[in-house]
Amino acid sequence: MSKPVTSIKLVLLGEAAVGKSSIVLRFVSDDFSENKEPTIGAAFLTQRVNINDHTVKFEIWDTAGQERFASLAPMYYRNAQAALVVYDVTKPQSFIKARHWVKELHEQASKNIIIALVGNKVDIVDENEEERKVAREEAEKLAEEEGLLFFETSAKTGANINEVFMGIGEKIPLKGPEEEAQGSGLNVTDDQRVNLDSPGNADGPAGACSC
Amino acid sequence: MGVRSPTKDAGYSTRETKERESHSSSTTSLVTSLMKSWRISSSSSSSSAAARVDYSTQSLSGNPTTGTYSEIRHSASASSSHANSKRSLTHNDNASNSSLAKNSSEYGAYTLSRSSSADGNFDAMAKQQNSTARSASSTSNTFSPLRYTSPSGGQIESPRASLLRQKHNKHSHHNQQYYQHNNSSAISELSSTKKSSDKYFEDLDEDWSAVIDNYNMPIPMLTNGGNAHSARYSERHSHSQTRDAQRNSLSRTTTASSIGTTGASGSGSQGQSTQYPQLPNLNIAEALGVDKSQEEIDNEREVQELNSIMQRITKFDSILQGRHIINLQELRQLSWNGIPKPHRPIVWKLLIGYLPANTKRQESLLKRKRQEYCESLKHTFSDEHSRDIPTWHQIEIDIPRTNPHIPLYQFKSVHESLQRILYIWAIRHPASGYVQGINDLVTPFFQTFLTEYLPQSKIDSVEVTDPDTYLTKEQKTNLEADTFWCLTKFLEQITDNYIHGQPGILKQVKNLSQLVKRIDIDLYNHFEKEHVEFIQFAFRWMNCLLMREFQMDTVIRMWDTYLAETSPETTSSFSSSNALNMSNDTLMSPHTPISRKPATFSTPMGDQTSPASTASRSNLSANTAPQAVASPGGASSSDDTSKRVTHSSLNEFHVFVCAAFLIKWSDVLCDMDFQGIITFLQNPPTKDWTETDIEMLLSEAYIWQSLYKDATSHWLK
Repeated sequence: MSKPVTSIKLVLLGEAAVGKSSIVLRFVSDDFSENKEPTIGAAFLTQRVNINDHTVKFEIWDTAGQERFASLAPMYYRNAQAALVVYDVTKPQSFIKARHWVKELHEQASKNIIIALVGNKVDIVDENEEERKVAREEAEKLAEEEGLLFFETSAKTGANINEVFMGIGEKIPLKGPEEEAQGSGLNVTDDQRVNLDSPGNADGPAGACSC
Repeated sequence: MGVRSPTKDAGYSTRETKERESHSSSTTSLVTSLMKSWRISSSSSSSSAAARVDYSTQSLSGNPTTGTYSEIRHSASASSSHANSKRSLTHNDNASNSSLAKNSSEYGAYTLSRSSSADGNFDAMAKQQNSTARSASSTSNTFSPLRYTSPSGGQIESPRASLLRQKHNKHSHHNQQYYQHNNSSAISELSSTKKSSDKYFEDLDEDWSAVIDNYNMPIPMLTNGGNAHSARYSERHSHSQTRDAQRNSLSRTTTASSIGTTGASGSGSQGQSTQYPQLPNLNIAEALGVDKSQEEIDNEREVQELNSIMQRITKFDSILQGRHIINLQELRQLSWNGIPKPHRPIVWKLLIGYLPANTKRQESLLKRKRQEYCESLKHTFSDEHSRDIPTWHQIEIDIPRTNPHIPLYQFKSVHESLQRILYIWAIRHPASGYVQGINDLVTPFFQTFLTEYLPQSKIDSVEVTDPDTYLTKEQKTNLEADTFWCLTKFLEQITDNYIHGQPGILKQVKNLSQLVKRIDIDLYNHFEKEHVEFIQFAFRWMNCLLMREFQMDTVIRMWDTYLAETSPETTSSFSSSNALNMSNDTLMSPHTPISRKPATFSTPMGDQTSPASTASRSNLSANTAPQAVASPGGASSSDDTSKRVTHSSLNEFHVFVCAAFLIKWSDVLCDMDFQGIITFLQNPPTKDWTETDIEMLLSEAYIWQSLYKDATSHWLK
């Protein structure tokens, strides 16, 4: 007896070396490595989680952070249902970049895309509050203005990482059994699926389906 | 008899192909495709090729345990070198002398390595070689013989080598003429062998088997003034006709039964053994010939492969040493198949056009370029320079993340060096600036040049040793300077990959998809069905030149070929378009003209070489298209492609390597869905890849290039 599976296409954006790949690695493999090679182009990973009665399969595109690769980003966020915009709480510049990404997503991405603003590397701040360069309040304010989910995380310790993805999973309208028949895949019904529900009722689990 | 038709050469090449085919079972498809292309090139001479088939059967069935012990690869080189001499002779000019000298030198070296390794006595061999090849002895200690021991590794070498040789034949006598006139040192070094050759070159001309049998020349030949040599030639002359016939008939018997093979080819070499009773290893081989165990056969094979390694080392030595001007073309051809570790730093510097081919100029150039780098450093870290903070920062965060699995790149001193190199490169190239991936590309240079400062026995520990423990401050700066300049030269060829929008990479990805569409339509269709886009996995392949896909040692081996494939020579012969590129660069590098010296220097002496080779290239492309296409510089032959070549043949060849890499997994990939494909291609199972695997890949790429390049000129743009 298999649970219904919903695929969520998710993209990570953010400045270089803020920890995008590390967040994904923690979420997918519950692992961490101090010096991860810079991502070139984009990396693809998947992870399944159970949310209420549903299995949600995250199909994650982890993009490269360096400015030079930014022209590739639209290809990855074009059909995404969710995006993590990541910054480094110890690097103010990365927060500025995060603002840009949020703006670009609102302008270019799918209208109903769910965006989570993620301030990473809080473990550094936990050790020494002086390292914090992006105030939590400032980020919360941005999240509120732009209608974003907001988390502060540490990929190193794992703090709050799963919560980010669960939060997103709960906001995505889940697929009913009859939709299952349409088959899965990235490119099939992404847009339809998102459009079926208004953003308002996203919190309800299976009941939110169109029937 | 004196003049031979060129068709006969082609006949030999067919024979080589046949031999190769039988030699390796694991690569039949590779060879088949090679043969396809080969057939085209030698089709004009199919009749003579057919006439030679018998002979080839003999060679291939005579297994390594017998008297036809000489490695197949060598017989390939022998016949082509012989073709050299014949050609020269038909031209009936002085070049014949020098070409003979060249042949003799080749075989002289070979004999040394062959007999010594047959003894298993490397020390003895090293001593003997000391006189002519200084570093051969030392390299035998550190240079792992196993690198080339796989049969498929040998196989890989062959198609390329012989293709090159064939091409080389067309114009080699020009080069040789040049040696004759300008390179007395090299010749005097070989004076003993040359002396005999001078006297007897006519015999050699008429009897090509004499050249092949030169392998069996015992060591003393080289030192005893070539007396035995000459005796042999005259005797050979009289026997040649009968022996050819004898071999042909023998070959039929040998193919009849595999057991009979050893005995039959043993007797096939009987002629030799009676003629050269002084050959101990040959006799031993025959004595044991009948009941060789598999182990012994393997041993013999290993010995042969050791031979070929030693021969390679000797060849590198002879190219690099004792000559006023290094023959870059020869070096390039040799390097394509891999460079021995001790030679690698200097050969890379030569191939990339950093070091001038004129050995007398090398020192002054190095001094200048290193000085320039020093000044650049001083300026960059002085108050006059306002630091480009974002660039500095980007490099700073990437360096600890570069090759995180290799201890070398965790040392603080290495971080500092790489930071300086990359930062100075970035600010000198504002159009591109620092792009992630360049931090990967700098490391093969850095690591390779580091080995220069290590004793040969420690070359393999370069990845685990802190350079600060063995480098002086000055050496470190020199190392950085060399790395910097070679990186600069390297990236010059692929500038488009890193400028805004990365058009070079996008073009390569597109070319890759087009190529796969033509080579493997099933895979292409499957990708379409699964909505896999090439850019999703191939972007990184292009941006980091597959460095992320392979381990460092295999990457470095791959770069031997890449650096041999990319051709400053080629660009220098199209100096006008080259100048355009250069003028671009002068903005950032005030001393660019100096860096051009190595490239341009070959042009003055090009009275002999450059026009000749260019001419022969265009001849090739006109007459035997597949062959010309196959040649590394072949791209430069036709006018419409010259622009592309100056852009870079590196990018182009790399696309073929990527295609070969992708198609390698075709069967697996066709059974996968989107997720499986992308995941697989992000983490291809290459962890255990050896240099042999890489060589196989490169050969496949080379063959794809040979087969498709003509076609690709229409759709690869």
